[in-house]
Amino acid sequence: MAAQRLECELVTEPDLAKMIAAEFGDSIRIPDLAWRPLTVSILASLGAARHVVVCCTGAELFSGHLGASMLRLHVVAPESVRLANLMQDCRLDRAEAKVRLRQMEAARALIRKRRYGQKISRPTDFDLVLNARRLGPSEMVDLLEAAVKSQGLLDSGPLTATDAAEVQFRVRLQLARFGIVPPKRPTVEREEVGDRKEFGHPSEQVFANLLDFYGIVWDYEPRSFPLQWDKDGKVAEAFTPDFYLPEFNLYVELTTMKQANVTRKNRKIRLLRAIYPHVNIQVFYQKDVQDLVTKYGLPERLAR
Amino acid sequence: MSVPAIERVLFTEEEIERAIRRVAAEISAHYAGRELKLVGVLKGSVFFLAALARELTVPVKVDFLAISSFANQKGAPGMVRIAKDLDDSIEGEEVMLVEDIVDTGFTTRYLLQHLSGRGPKSLALCTLLDRTPRRIVQVPVDYRCFEIPDRFVVGFGLDYKQLYRNLKYVAVLNSEPATEI
Repeated sequence: MAAQRLECELVTEPDLAKMIAAEFGDSIRIPDLAWRPLTVSILASLGAARHVVVCCTGAELFSGHLGASMLRLHVVAPESVRLANLMQDCRLDRAEAKVRLRQMEAARALIRKRRYGQKISRPTDFDLVLNARRLGPSEMVDLLEAAVKSQGLLDSGPLTATDAAEVQFRVRLQLARFGIVPPKRPTVEREEVGDRKEFGHPSEQVFANLLDFYGIVWDYEPRSFPLQWDKDGKVAEAFTPDFYLPEFNLYVELTTMKQANVTRKNRKIRLLRAIYPHVNIQVFYQKDVQDLVTKYGLPERLAR
Repeated sequence: MSVPAIERVLFTEEEIERAIRRVAAEISAHYAGRELKLVGVLKGSVFFLAALARELTVPVKVDFLAISSFANQKGAPGMVRIAKDLDDSIEGEEVMLVEDIVDTGFTTRYLLQHLSGRGPKSLALCTLLDRTPRRIVQVPVDYRCFEIPDRFVVGFGLDYKQLYRNLKYVAVLNSEPATEI
């Protein structure tokens, strides 16, 4: 109900397990302590694209990675309410529901202990704690919605690409300790972007080689961003960044013109940032390209 | 070979000493009662690592590694690799990668991934200079002495064609005249 009201994607624990299997391979054995970084990696990927509501044991403990982009909600209820829910949902009598509730609590405590080192959740780990004794689902969603609005979480956009990249990098370092290789990188048909692609300038070929050298996946001019439209709605002006680095959700534009001649391009980049605020773009000007030439010892003729 | 001249001093010897003492105090406090292994990247970080190690008050081990240079590749660029590996294992140790500068993040990211695969107890990153305007790959910088603007700098380990490393200060190098394409 909360996801529907907030127009967010709902991600449950089974969803996360499926996503982890899809991302990291369903044959890997996941150590309990690797669950947190694996889940954070998935949530950072999702959170960079859209707002999500996550329903998962121990999710409040991910805030160390995902920070202020999260609002952590805990719903508590007296045993009588929980038993009533179980009896209704699972068609159990009261005695059976009591047994089932104990089993569920024990299972959850075991999972929490193994994955996060603590059997029970602490109220101080949450931003909002609601008691279902008196509040119905609809009232609780009202309160949740108010908290989300007061924090401006839906106004500020999803996790920024830079923050997501930072999270992914830290997570990969943790996963390496468990022998879990980083997620399969977004696949790019190398022969199509490397050899057969015509670069606009030799410096772009060198930059592509530099990315290859460091094992960074890239795509060349994969997308044009419309910037202006005529009265018929046709695109009158567009901008196509040189490179896209899918692992970091980052566009890179190389500018080898003199600083004085880049005004038009700068205007386009300003427009791009205004119209597409969630697009992350890094611009390398002639001076920057020359510094790269010097730093990495690239062929100097390519910088000119 | 023409060598560009120094344009101006960015950080003096005294400023660098002060910054290193400040960072060393932070590191010493964080690792109090523990042993720390500093891993330097040849050749640029040698000067900074030596100065930093002298200011640390926790027990310190030192090791170095080097990676292959993009510039030295013949023909196809190939892939980055470890050209000089660590002398000792870092498994179970508190490790700090010490860099002279974090720039695009390419090299640092590769090194952090490489080191984390060796099973250290913890892995941190300390750099003399952090040039964030040029960052492409985000890397977690735990300790930094200075953030610097988007200028080409030399000195205190940083080079221009292997020169200037021995300067006691960090300086901005004169820009070479640019030619339009």
